[in-house]
Amino acid sequence: MSESQAPFDRRAVRLHRARAAARATEASEGLFREVGLRLLDRLDDITRRFPVAVELGARDGALREGLAGRNGVAFLAQADLSESFARRCRGPRFVADEDLPPLGPHSVDLVVSNLALHWVNDLPGCLSQIRRSLRPDGLFLAALLGDKTLNELRTVLADAEIAATGGLSPRLSPMVDVRDAGALLQRAGFALPVVDVDRIDVSYRDPLALMRDLRGMGETNAVAARPRRMARRDVLLAAAALYAERHGDGEGRVPATFDVLFLTAWSPHGSQQRPLRPGGGQVSLAKVLGDGR
Amino acid sequence: MNDAGVDPKLLEILVCPLTKGPLAYDRERRELVSEQAGLAYPIRDGIPIMLVDEARRLDGDET
Repeated sequence: MSESQAPFDRRAVRLHRARAAARATEASEGLFREVGLRLLDRLDDITRRFPVAVELGARDGALREGLAGRNGVAFLAQADLSESFARRCRGPRFVADEDLPPLGPHSVDLVVSNLALHWVNDLPGCLSQIRRSLRPDGLFLAALLGDKTLNELRTVLADAEIAATGGLSPRLSPMVDVRDAGALLQRAGFALPVVDVDRIDVSYRDPLALMRDLRGMGETNAVAARPRRMARRDVLLAAAALYAERHGDGEGRVPATFDVLFLTAWSPHGSQQRPLRPGGGQVSLAKVLGDGR
Repeated sequence: MNDAGVDPKLLEILVCPLTKGPLAYDRERRELVSEQAGLAYPIRDGIPIMLVDEARRLDGDET
């Protein structure tokens, strides 16, 4: 994919992540912690053991504590796009671009990713590279932000910008929806793909606190076609006022919705359930349905 | 500074991000070398940096 077609500016993503690494606090990492726990919950529903595991987009490595030893994970390597985040991981770690995971074919049993893959430029390519890195019956378990994420903010920013300038520029990233995610997993060659959504509402003191928090998380705009200037201050303030007016609780606090998609998918293996081949049925449908008279 | 070295188990799973080909561990230079891609990925403080734009080109005209 040429630079001009790529939806995201990966250098900006890296920069934002590095900035987040420098400032990460328990508060700014809150959403990642919460989603991390929900990922671990999903592992608890699975009885298979995964001796070799990799986490892509591990940020400060907080998930190690919950992952190591769970489901027989004996070796866990954590990777992040930002070197400063990777340095904060304890245990085996490396720096990697999620768009190009440097994992050998059939080398790992489990790939986990916590809210990192919504920034990749080529999600289908990324998914099939992950699938190829998995051993047969290996698991891919990921959380990514879905397309309803920050809907409130998206709408008020657009309305405020149109009102002030008569035009609209991409301020928030495009994100994937549930149906796309399922189809992408299937196309990437995964077996038994499942996608489900959790809506996580976070309450903020005011809309500007939300915007500051997004910056702290390293989750601000990295759309390649984004305007190189910050949104005008009057636009931001107008957006904040609209936000408070439409979504405020009367005391100034506002909710922000994060729409988190949980993806579980398996690398194919003979032991998995599969549909029969067409024509492979043993009983005639006519017999089951009656002969129609 | 003393290099901690890379976890051997980590070396077993890592490949060149571009070609998915094997990497040779150059202990001396602290690099993971992908002959196929003509790139050497640096290892800093025991952390492999598997980014194409951080890799050294193996053009031959290097030091």
